[in-house]
Amino acid sequence: MSNSIRRVATDVGGTFTDLVAFETSDDGMRVITAKSDTTPPNFEQGVLNVLSKMEDQGIATKDVDFMAHGTTVVINALTERKGVKVGLITTEGFRDTLEIARGNRPDFFNLHYEKPEPFVPRHLRAEVPGRMTYQGKERVPLDLSELPTILDVFKSEGVEAIAISLLHSYADTSHEEVLLAEVKKLWPDVSVVASHQITREWREYERSNTAVLSAYVQPVAARYLGKLDEGLTSGGLRQSPFIMQSNCGVDSLNATSAVPITMVESGPASGFWGAAELGKLIGDPNILALDIGGTTAKCSLIEDGEVRIMTDYWIERSRKSAGYPIMVPVVDLVEIGNGGGSIAWVDDFGKLHVGPQSAGALPGPAAYGKGGNNATTTDANLWLGRINRNYFCGGAIEAQMDATEMALTEVGDKLGVDTDEAARGIVRIANNNMVNALKLVSLNRGHDTRDFTLLAFGGGGGMHAVALGQELQVKQVVVPAAASVFSAWGMMMSDLRRDFFVTQLADLHEGAGVTIEGVFAEAESQAREAFKTDGVDPSRVSFLRYGKFRYQNQEHTTEVLLHGEVTDAALDKIAEDFRAAYEKEYTYRLNAPVEMVGIHLVARAEVGKIEMTPAPLGDTDASPAIKSKRTVDYALEGKHEADIYNGDKLLPGMKFDGPAIVEDSGTTIVIHPGNKVWVDAFRNIHIVLEG
Amino acid sequence: MATDPITLEIIQNSLQSAADEMFAAMRKTAMSSIIYEVLDMGTGITDAEGRIASSGAGIPAFIGVLDKSVQFILGKHAEIAPGDVFITNDPWHGGVTHLNDLVLAMPVFSGGQLIAWTANIAHNSDVGGMAPGSLSGEATEIFQEGLRLPAVKLIREGVTDQALMDIITTNSRMPDFLLGDVWAAIASVRVGAKRLEDLAEKYGVETFTEAMNSFMEFGHKTASAELANLPKGTFELSEEQDDGRVYNVKVTITDEDFIVDLRDNPDQDPGCTNTSRDGTMICAQMVFKSVTDPDTPANDGSFRPLQVLTREGSVFHAKEPAAIGFYFETEVRVYDLIWRCLAPHIPDRLPAGHFSSICGTFIGGIHPDTGRQYTIIEPQIGGWGAWDGRDGNPCIFSGFHGETYNTPAEISEARNGLYVDQMALNTEPGGEGEFTGGRGLILEYRIRTENGFVTAGYTRSKVKPWSLEGGKEGSGNYVEVIKPEGTERYSFVSGLELTTDDVVRVVTSSGAGFGDPKNRNPDSIAQDIKNGFVSEERAKSVYGLDA
Repeated sequence: MSNSIRRVATDVGGTFTDLVAFETSDDGMRVITAKSDTTPPNFEQGVLNVLSKMEDQGIATKDVDFMAHGTTVVINALTERKGVKVGLITTEGFRDTLEIARGNRPDFFNLHYEKPEPFVPRHLRAEVPGRMTYQGKERVPLDLSELPTILDVFKSEGVEAIAISLLHSYADTSHEEVLLAEVKKLWPDVSVVASHQITREWREYERSNTAVLSAYVQPVAARYLGKLDEGLTSGGLRQSPFIMQSNCGVDSLNATSAVPITMVESGPASGFWGAAELGKLIGDPNILALDIGGTTAKCSLIEDGEVRIMTDYWIERSRKSAGYPIMVPVVDLVEIGNGGGSIAWVDDFGKLHVGPQSAGALPGPAAYGKGGNNATTTDANLWLGRINRNYFCGGAIEAQMDATEMALTEVGDKLGVDTDEAARGIVRIANNNMVNALKLVSLNRGHDTRDFTLLAFGGGGGMHAVALGQELQVKQVVVPAAASVFSAWGMMMSDLRRDFFVTQLADLHEGAGVTIEGVFAEAESQAREAFKTDGVDPSRVSFLRYGKFRYQNQEHTTEVLLHGEVTDAALDKIAEDFRAAYEKEYTYRLNAPVEMVGIHLVARAEVGKIEMTPAPLGDTDASPAIKSKRTVDYALEGKHEADIYNGDKLLPGMKFDGPAIVEDSGTTIVIHPGNKVWVDAFRNIHIVLEG
Repeated sequence: MATDPITLEIIQNSLQSAADEMFAAMRKTAMSSIIYEVLDMGTGITDAEGRIASSGAGIPAFIGVLDKSVQFILGKHAEIAPGDVFITNDPWHGGVTHLNDLVLAMPVFSGGQLIAWTANIAHNSDVGGMAPGSLSGEATEIFQEGLRLPAVKLIREGVTDQALMDIITTNSRMPDFLLGDVWAAIASVRVGAKRLEDLAEKYGVETFTEAMNSFMEFGHKTASAELANLPKGTFELSEEQDDGRVYNVKVTITDEDFIVDLRDNPDQDPGCTNTSRDGTMICAQMVFKSVTDPDTPANDGSFRPLQVLTREGSVFHAKEPAAIGFYFETEVRVYDLIWRCLAPHIPDRLPAGHFSSICGTFIGGIHPDTGRQYTIIEPQIGGWGAWDGRDGNPCIFSGFHGETYNTPAEISEARNGLYVDQMALNTEPGGEGEFTGGRGLILEYRIRTENGFVTAGYTRSKVKPWSLEGGKEGSGNYVEVIKPEGTERYSFVSGLELTTDDVVRVVTSSGAGFGDPKNRNPDSIAQDIKNGFVSEERAKSVYGLDA
């Protein structure tokens, strides 16, 4: 046992707090899972509860070598409006920026459109004189003579956190730094954040809103992380947990407490990072990753093993609302309201829709028998025999098929079709919604889906993946072993990672090499410093350098990976790399000059990944895993008698053909007629589609 | 044979995503900020006959343009082949709006048969003419407003007509921008065409066509069903304009029809504030869509119950070669006229009047740091009217614009080489009511070099946004130019010279109020005062508040 290494991931979800522990020793790997109720508002209690369940299974908290933790505390505080009262200090003449926003009306025929309310009302938005230019030069000195009065007003109004956002602070941070220091001096107890601590990109509304939302959740998140750390330490954990971030990396608990807004989309990020890591493991670095849960489906594209990270992230944005921007590094994903619990409905004109409304966990699909009268995607899958009605939710719930039938028949009646046809329709519409989402991250950006493997995970991933893969003509579909705890695995494969975005305009003429190299060098030294404070030896930090380029006069940029030091001699090659990347995405080239708009630096350091060891491939005969046969309706491909495989009994090397269904307690994989299936050395299931 | 409804639904969804994809491609590659930031652009897909089937996000006023362009091209050209791309910008040649708006349209073929069109419209920064930016308040005929492109072939079976491209770019003061923007538009129609080809190949031309038809049928059914819920009868309104002219509209709603009669209106303007008949039609379409079915995407069927009557030679149906550069101010007037005419009768769909002007603002000069020419071309944001139960929105784009974005001060200072002294809510008195109108904008540009200019054309300056049920009217739109020798206030100004440290101060109106201010909730009044939206004195006089 002395050689054992124990890594644990805990994830606080809306209903359950999940734990996955991996114990690797010379004898191989043991995986333990545990589940406990989520315990609002004291979420840390749920984590401690689930750890004690782990202890019951033989791993002591004090023996844990590494713990990663994912939490929705930030996104919950935002969407439920449970943050604190914030005061904003900004540049004279710009206190209304937060309320003016960008002026757009996405729901443009609706004359009763309601613009999102700012998170800080006007009387708590204060101004100070002082101006920087876009080139980072001081134009008007900062004047803080009114600051004590401003802070007095904030105090008397019950402000608990302060956001600072000054014009052009991305170009020069000194005014914000002085203001930040002065606020801390005058009011040491207040929680305060300045925009440059979060982002160095331009656009004052987006940056200000980001600072405001960060301030809004900061006390809540810090309180949570503090209590969690305390609880874990007294439970015997030797090293503070690393916290999952939206950029697919983890960061230290201290750094996260200071700027917690970076956790905002950490939920999906771990799964997508898992997809990237698994792609490398199985020798296929080009992955279309799809995560289908109960309420939504999310997808992201991974090229050459790298996830795409962007800072164009918004919450609550839709065709009906402008939403709120958060300018932090977030994995580039498309999310749609289509999951297992999505409700099928027919509009006044006889058109069938699926989602975005979800039946959730309560009342859930009609088949739960908990009072849900609406047909959901899950009901349709049950009715068509795709989900085993005698092994529903791994046998935990008895499927109420009469309720399912009633709900589906109601949909069918409105459409003028029978119950079977209604169920097929629901599956086809749901699939089509997901195909369109997958196209957004692939075809729309110039990627040919035929070059990609579709990796599907989450509870519903395997159910729909083959149909989607066939539509997109992907190379193959892969469903990972233990797809339902895949996100936790991804969390433990994550590096300590920070993404730095800095706006810096530069023409690619002689002398630009030095300028650009300087921006990268400064960001890199800043990154090494930051890691050092977290106890990471600077020599362990590695970097990826991306430049953001465009043709002169354009606005939007294309990211290009840069190799080695940036010198004048390298500029031609860089410009050509940009032109090629641009042509790939947009189909044409221009003779116009190329300019750089900013940099994106990825800094990362390994903090202890799991070593995956391949198992030897055994017999190809998969028949020992067959548990039964049943009729499955494949919608467009009709009804077929399918072999039903027990997923837990599928071993490395086994092969079989569709039509088939693979079931385990967490997931169902629907394998269509003509598919060829094999199980790899890590027990991932590969489905090769018939041409 | 009728295809199953699910397949039709899937094709329709795919048409919508293709239009969205065209929009995204254009946005990301355009060179003019009016396109990529302001998103003064639109994308659409029509059937083989040029009927609009789906459209991308963007500007509602552009949705009804593209079908008219395609229909004109179809009428003019006998030879239409795969790989062709057509271009037009002239309202008497299918262009609808003004010469700055270049429409590119591409036919889509499957198995040798024309099955659809993809099309794109965007405001280009300069297409020649008598003034920088091509828009001048001084223009009296269209020839002064730029190069007219009468629905001609720019790309023949995949091969660019370089001669035509050279003529277009040579006629522009900003040829690099124009070329980049035209290529962005070409990329956009091509990406859409590719998606449609794939769709038709997958499902077959017959099913593809059936899906388009059924989508339009759906639009028609939706509109007709909602028509049944509207009050029936004839409603009439005459409204005086800032320039003293009186506009008139009669709207007749029956069980089947929605007739907008604009025949009783002044003769066309000798200047540039005229609109084409097609342009007038679009305004009526927008109001019609908002009162019948604001929720689903618009297509040809959505507008079938609508009829618009105009008189040729009038301001809403100008004859060639009238100048039409500032057509948008006339369009937004007729749009607001129809809205106002119906608002008292359909209060659940139509709020009180908004700032209701494009407030088109054009500033140009030399960038002091780069030495390059810069041109600001921007519509402004302003206050919207209140309705029963809710205050109006502060600072969003007019009903004419939709998914349009203002330009951040940080980007404006870098790109245009001027300073933005402030960007704030306008708290001038106006728009009070039981529910108050949203606040307008104050935006100040400080010029950094000599030899600059400003052109602006605002309406709702004297005749202010109209209220409902006893609310107060809005504060009014105007622009001020602040020079050492004094401050001048304008609603229309053309090519006014600017020099270092001059300030152009854009002020847009609040929306109008709904209901008697005396009935406003005292807590709301207290919040208004606390937030500095109304002074205590004004609160006393308007709301009758006892201090």
